[in-house]
Amino acid sequence: MTELFIRLMRKPQGFVGIVLLALIAAACLFGPALAPYAPEKIDFLGRFRAPGWQNWLGADQFGRDILSRLMVGARSTVPLAFIATFVGSAAGATIGVGSAYLGGRTDEAIMRTIDAVMAIPGLLMALLLVSTLGNGAGNAVIAIAVAFAPGMARVTRSAALNVRNQDYVKAAIARGEGAPWIIFREMLPNVMAPIVIESTIRVSFAVMLFATLSFLGVGAQPPASEWGLMVADARQYMHQAPWGLIAPSAAIALTAIAFNLVGDGLRDALNPKDER
Amino acid sequence: MTPVLSIQNYTLDYISSAGPVRVLHDISLEIGPGEVLGLVGESGSGKSSLAWALMRHLPENAREVAGSLRLGDIDLQRLSPGELTRIRGRRLGMVFQDPSTSLNPTLTIGRQITEALIQHRGLKQRDASSLAINLLGHVDLNNPAAIMRRYPPEISGGEKQRVIIATAFGCRPDVILFDEPTTALDVITGARILALFARLRRETGVAALYISHDLALVTRVADRVAVLERGRLVEQAPAADIFRAPRHANTRALVDAVPRPERRLVHDKPGDQVVLAASDIEVRYGSGGLFRDAPPPATKKIGLEVRGGEILGLVGESGSGKSSMARALTGLARFSGKITFDAHEIHRMRDMNAAYRRDVQIIFQHPDASLNPRHRIDEILSRPLKLYGGHLADIPRLLEQVRLPASYANRWPHQLSGGEKQRIAIARAFAARPKLVICDEITAPLDVSVQAQIIELLLALREETGTAFLFITHDLNLIRQIAHRIAVMRRGEMVDLLPVEDFDADHVHPYTRELMAASPVPVG
Amino acid sequence: MSLAWFARRLMLMVYTVIVVSMLVFAITQILPADAAQSLLGENATPEVLAALRTRLGLGDPAWLQYGRWARHIFTGDFGISMRTSLPVGPEMLAALSRSLLLAVSAILVTLAIAVPLGVVAALRQGRLTDTGVSLIAYLGVSLPEFVTATLLALLLADTWHWLPATGYVSPLEDFGDGIRHLALPVLTVSLILVAHVMRMMRSETLDVLKSDYIRAARLKGLPERTVVFRHALRNALLPVVTIIALDVGYLLGGIIVIEEIFAIPGIGRALMVAITTRDLPSIQAGALIMAATYAVTNTLADMAYAFLDPRIRYD
Repeated sequence: MTELFIRLMRKPQGFVGIVLLALIAAACLFGPALAPYAPEKIDFLGRFRAPGWQNWLGADQFGRDILSRLMVGARSTVPLAFIATFVGSAAGATIGVGSAYLGGRTDEAIMRTIDAVMAIPGLLMALLLVSTLGNGAGNAVIAIAVAFAPGMARVTRSAALNVRNQDYVKAAIARGEGAPWIIFREMLPNVMAPIVIESTIRVSFAVMLFATLSFLGVGAQPPASEWGLMVADARQYMHQAPWGLIAPSAAIALTAIAFNLVGDGLRDALNPKDER
Repeated sequence: MTPVLSIQNYTLDYISSAGPVRVLHDISLEIGPGEVLGLVGESGSGKSSLAWALMRHLPENAREVAGSLRLGDIDLQRLSPGELTRIRGRRLGMVFQDPSTSLNPTLTIGRQITEALIQHRGLKQRDASSLAINLLGHVDLNNPAAIMRRYPPEISGGEKQRVIIATAFGCRPDVILFDEPTTALDVITGARILALFARLRRETGVAALYISHDLALVTRVADRVAVLERGRLVEQAPAADIFRAPRHANTRALVDAVPRPERRLVHDKPGDQVVLAASDIEVRYGSGGLFRDAPPPATKKIGLEVRGGEILGLVGESGSGKSSMARALTGLARFSGKITFDAHEIHRMRDMNAAYRRDVQIIFQHPDASLNPRHRIDEILSRPLKLYGGHLADIPRLLEQVRLPASYANRWPHQLSGGEKQRIAIARAFAARPKLVICDEITAPLDVSVQAQIIELLLALREETGTAFLFITHDLNLIRQIAHRIAVMRRGEMVDLLPVEDFDADHVHPYTRELMAASPVPVG
Repeated sequence: MSLAWFARRLMLMVYTVIVVSMLVFAITQILPADAAQSLLGENATPEVLAALRTRLGLGDPAWLQYGRWARHIFTGDFGISMRTSLPVGPEMLAALSRSLLLAVSAILVTLAIAVPLGVVAALRQGRLTDTGVSLIAYLGVSLPEFVTATLLALLLADTWHWLPATGYVSPLEDFGDGIRHLALPVLTVSLILVAHVMRMMRSETLDVLKSDYIRAARLKGLPERTVVFRHALRNALLPVVTIIALDVGYLLGGIIVIEEIFAIPGIGRALMVAITTRDLPSIQAGALIMAATYAVTNTLADMAYAFLDPRIRYD
């Protein structure tokens, strides 16, 4: 693992990505402790205060410090996106590998159905599910997980199919190895790399999707300082206090970029040809 | 007389993350007008790098350290990009290894020939088209006018290579570089391409640099042969002499490694008891879909028997069904028919029990793909021991058996060479002392010297264990050295099954005769 | 490309639409423990709930409900809106036409910008142009639509006052004003699409440039210009058709947000309104129409691609 980390850091993308991720993780873990103000602390005198020494990133329409809200809001945005991606990936990967192993017509039928499900755009799927389950962050997580599963199934299945056609899997079958051994010890280790890479990149989509759902009012609910929610709030006042808009937007963008970079970096680092 | 191509003291490095790696050391070669020089070397010899250097298509990390490359009196290294474009194709042609990737799949054949003719011979479109049709007819293509309108994916590999050769010759260059032009083709198709090349050469007097890893093949087409070993020129001699009287030690080793049917390596007789008998084996891949017909079977009711300790050769070109037989016998492909092994009858994959799986082993063609890249060697070798009853302590012995050091147990596959990986695959197959080992073209991707070592290893193992072999290959000369009986397959049917003594031009099927003619024994 | 191939492709499209309809129906009507309750909220009285249940036929088994709904959809009857009491179908389709106007304009703008930029970036791989293009693409892919939209609105409408921030005017009624109102949404969507398409074109073109047949063409002595234009670009541009299909996919996802922010009365907005007001028939119709649009576009793209690429013709 440490070897992987070192290889990841050696490339510029991996390095920048990891640094950004570390910052975000710090915000998630220590945000509330490090934030200069309490995120709900209202200060009518400081309404729409421009960025300065009192509020480093400015204050919103209630005088709440934007920097503090951002730091605490990391907790509302990032870990939930992570969980949604993890659950969606696990579900998708199981379907994908299983379908590849079964092969033949079953595999084709499953994949055509997955394709059909993917005709519903991710955001729409998430919205439909949230409208049924009810608004809220928890349901948004479930909705995103379900929206991601088909895409992950596709990616996993094509990677698994690739592996299944390799001679070492055939050698295992010819030896008379049992199916569990073949799936878990022969196929899965070679499929893990594409799964991990794809999942990491998807976390960035999850962050964006989660923020979008909150923006539309169906994800995290006020007074949570979720970043998407902050943008939605700040829109009305964008004329007086544009910083209220820019700060959370930048936070979302940086998080998405961080996961994208790490995903790309992993793609290079996990290439077995370079392991020497 | 000025040589057409002159390479003087040429030295080339590639810069890698570990520093510069010297690929060519002080190479000096000359090709006279109308002469064919064969350049032979195994993998890593640097022969392809020399071709790319001449075409000025070296990779970014290449550094030309010393020496000169001249085409006639033109210094190739001093050419501007514009001048280079004028030289390529017109004075210096090239024919590549893989015809299916050398043609643009979305342009017609006609377009791809005429554009070269227009560029280099200054013709108008209409004249170029008629010349192209002429050229295509001249390389023995049927209905050239129709082929002009086709796209590359619609014609066969052999036909594509003829098109490329026609284009190269049609531009009337001084010299043509041939980079292993028949390696990607079937034996018979390849032989026909070589005959075509010989004829065109006689007619046009074009000089050629013919690069190959196959020494025997090169001596058939070249006037002189140069041998490269790890970037150094070890020997240069007329083609006739190099086989008969190789001077350098490396050349001698190369010559010795070339399979020759008269050099028999197996001298005993097989036992009488039949180990495995297969009858009416039909292998089908894929079934029909809603709108598609089912594809034809890969093997059409084939039968064969292997006796104890026997080496049965199975020869055929691609698409003959020989690999499908191997897959059927090891439960990797669905088949119909009957297999009798050890008094046990098998009609389906499911009937193959643990004893069968232990006693019938398979070794695959590509060592890179048959070892799981995420398993260490000791784990790979432990599997047959665990499945068939053995001790993990046997692993060092298994490694020793295939002449590899015990320390290799801790390595990963990517740390081993192709030949070493294949040895691990062999060790894995022999771990449980099988009765029959199926070798599916296991030496095809290897250098000829490595192939000789692997064959020697297999024969030594056979001495120790008395295992029978079903040895699948397309190399007729190789199998005639080691097999007791040889079966020949063509398009799913078995056309011949003969003892090796009877394998001569009088007794064999016409197709087999053609195969034998396509891989003649080198003189020497 | 045989008739059989066409037939297969069409059947796949039909299958897709059927699966989507089942999924949409299941999520919106079957999944909720009590759809009537979730539609009317907690304060609804038992009588009103019972009346709604009867009206929507919620007591029947799932397959029966679906069958009824599907039959109506097939005949073009999308039901009556619970919010406006007007037929859903005509309203949704009108909304779709407005969205399509936005979508088509955005796609055209995107192709005009992204395809050349992507190709140029590949041709100049590793140099400044390439780095610049790749960076912008990266950024575009890492910003959610609502961020891009809001920031653009902030800049172009709020700060510089070039364009109106929200609203829609039909170009049929007033062309100039219609364009002005469409400009920001089209620009926003285009920016996002350009980022995606540029990356794809760049990687496609790079793949082509590295291929053996391009190398063979160069070594055949063809001038670089011929190699690039006659050989490379031809193959690199083939996937544009597929890219358009994928664009539509991205679009449909983002259009909900874009129309919401810019107050464009397209199908995205209609869906959002339907979802927030729990107008079940409208939700079902809107979702189905969106997904069906994607399925149809994809199928058309596949057919166009097969027509253009000689390799696929010999399936």
